[in-house]
Amino acid sequence: MNPVSTIKAIPGHVSRTSVIARHAFTQLVRMKVFYFLAFFAVILIASNFFNLPQHEGPESAGVNILRSIKSWSLGAMTLFSVVLSIVATALLLPKDVEDRTLYTILAKPVPRLDYLAGKLLGVLLLVFVSLALMDILMVGILQLRTNMVLTDQMAMAEARGWPAADIALLKAEILAQGPTASLQGAVFSVFLRSSIIASMALLISTFSSSTLFTTIISFLIYFIGHFQADARAAYLSGEAGTSDGILARGVTLLVSLVLPDFQLFNVIDSVIEGQVMPLFIVGKLTLIGLFYAIFYILASWFIFAEKEF
Amino acid sequence: MFLPRMTEIPPAVEISHLIKDFKTSFKRQPLRAVDDVSIRIMPGEVYGLIGPNGSGKSTTMKALLGLVAPTAGKCAIFGKDSMKVDSRNEVGFLPENPYFYKHLSGEETLKFYGKLCGIKGAKLRDRVKQLLELVDLSGASHRRIGGYSKGMLQRIGLAQALIQEPKLVILDEPTAGVDPVGSREIRDLIFKLREQGITVFLCSHLLEQVQEVCDHVGIIFKGKMIREGKLDDLIAIEDQTELILKDASPELVAEIAALVGKHAGAELISTGKPRTTLERLFLRETLKQESNN
Ligand SMILES: Nc1ncnc2c1ncn2[C@@H]1O[C@H](COP(=O)(O)OP(=O)(O)OP(=O)(O)O)[C@@H](O)[C@H]1O
Ligand SMILES: [Mg+2]
Repeated sequence: MNPVSTIKAIPGHVSRTSVIARHAFTQLVRMKVFYFLAFFAVILIASNFFNLPQHEGPESAGVNILRSIKSWSLGAMTLFSVVLSIVATALLLPKDVEDRTLYTILAKPVPRLDYLAGKLLGVLLLVFVSLALMDILMVGILQLRTNMVLTDQMAMAEARGWPAADIALLKAEILAQGPTASLQGAVFSVFLRSSIIASMALLISTFSSSTLFTTIISFLIYFIGHFQADARAAYLSGEAGTSDGILARGVTLLVSLVLPDFQLFNVIDSVIEGQVMPLFIVGKLTLIGLFYAIFYILASWFIFAEKEF
Repeated sequence: MFLPRMTEIPPAVEISHLIKDFKTSFKRQPLRAVDDVSIRIMPGEVYGLIGPNGSGKSTTMKALLGLVAPTAGKCAIFGKDSMKVDSRNEVGFLPENPYFYKHLSGEETLKFYGKLCGIKGAKLRDRVKQLLELVDLSGASHRRIGGYSKGMLQRIGLAQALIQEPKLVILDEPTAGVDPVGSREIRDLIFKLREQGITVFLCSHLLEQVQEVCDHVGIIFKGKMIREGKLDDLIAIEDQTELILKDASPELVAEIAALVGKHAGAELISTGKPRTTLERLFLRETLKQESNN
């Protein structure tokens, strides 16, 4: 008796999540977040002129500029990605609840996990695209500058009549400061870190009542995450040998399970110094990022599934 | 011809002994928004839920859609438990005072909801176009929702509810904020849905319209269902007979009154213009409850 409806096919989790993710991405883009790229370009150009004081000889002057460019751009990437992932995540969920748009979405056959995952992926997509754009800008400028430094230094070395072996060494040293694979690894680490932060902000926003609260708590946890490892070490060494040792170990394990250790991402600084970032570190950080993202999203789901609107 | 064994058709809506308490932060005592409400709507019926403000109409609908979890009791749509996602495959919902993403245009909004329901490509485009025409928003389809008026929001909400051709449509005050012409159009739309065999569950404060479109009505007061049934049964008054005259002169009415007076036992209760009887019923029932309390 009921007309058989033919226009719909029950979509899978992946396609539904991607619909919500693309929508969240569009929403954020239409909030004009990409304007910050202009600021980034300004910072990047300015970083060319921020010369660190030089104690070493003139031969390191060029290398310092390259470091300065990397340091400023990775710093700006960190700042933008952290702020973007916290604020965007903290904004999306309460906005849907307040505007009551959530009613119409959840009244469709949309599992709440798909909704949460979609929102998170939308934010991550935005962060990823922004980082990719910033990365392109940074690599472009760095490449230009590396070439300039290289020609300068090579000319200088040859004028001074350096032996060929030393010239090759200098060349390698300069190229190590340019756009290397490790630098891409560092940018990817920035992305991984912001995915941890975004999923953490998602978890907080499922039980917080306001965007402001979520933002503040997320930033706090981000900062605490930098001291987590030190605190843990200090606590454990103080407790060592006492009968509470096992309990202390349990507590710290629990803390590190919930609170990520952001010191793991200090490898980014060594990349700025020109060091190589081994592939296994990238793999390790990826696994850690995935672990926390999945852990937080499941925890968010656990809370959100019980929520009433 | 061999007929498949008749399985019982599940009701479109089955709400049994629904109780919903809300925690209030100040008082210890939770607020009982819905108190032991049972509603059963068979496929093809148009059911109207009426009641004063704050009587629990919207809460009942939200429980049916799994947006709030029942404190006690059960809700099911076409036999599927409301707390499960698959119960929402065949249902469209228009919440009260609907609001949508203001950064999307009307067309993008419908596409978004269509995609959530798994409609794709050319089918989605056709369906969106068809619905925009149906709710008379084709002209505004490329404008951002942020600039829509209240009535336009209501209409895009209605289109959104119908996007996946659901078999059950739940409308929470579909005509609120819509002008008289638009409100009549929405009424006609509900008629159309009924003709297509689509079940409609609505609540409204416009009793005249509820009486026009609904075949079943429930009156809810302070969370309790106080009257429920077929509209015709509810508003029929068994020991009375209505005579509706056209172009009757006052003399004729006086004559009839005199005639009635001659018959022992019969009594002329009133003469005058016919009134919306559902409205009368509503007022009588809620006033009765009020005086009982
Ligand atoms: N989320 C909530 N938290 C606390 N109380 C709520 C919540 N939602 C509804 N209520 C309360 O439940 C009662 C019923 O509300 P409901 O919205 O269902 O009424 P209604 O019949 O739809 O009224 P109206 O005609 O004004 O739309 C009200 O007293 C309301 O204050
Ligand atoms: Mg209501």
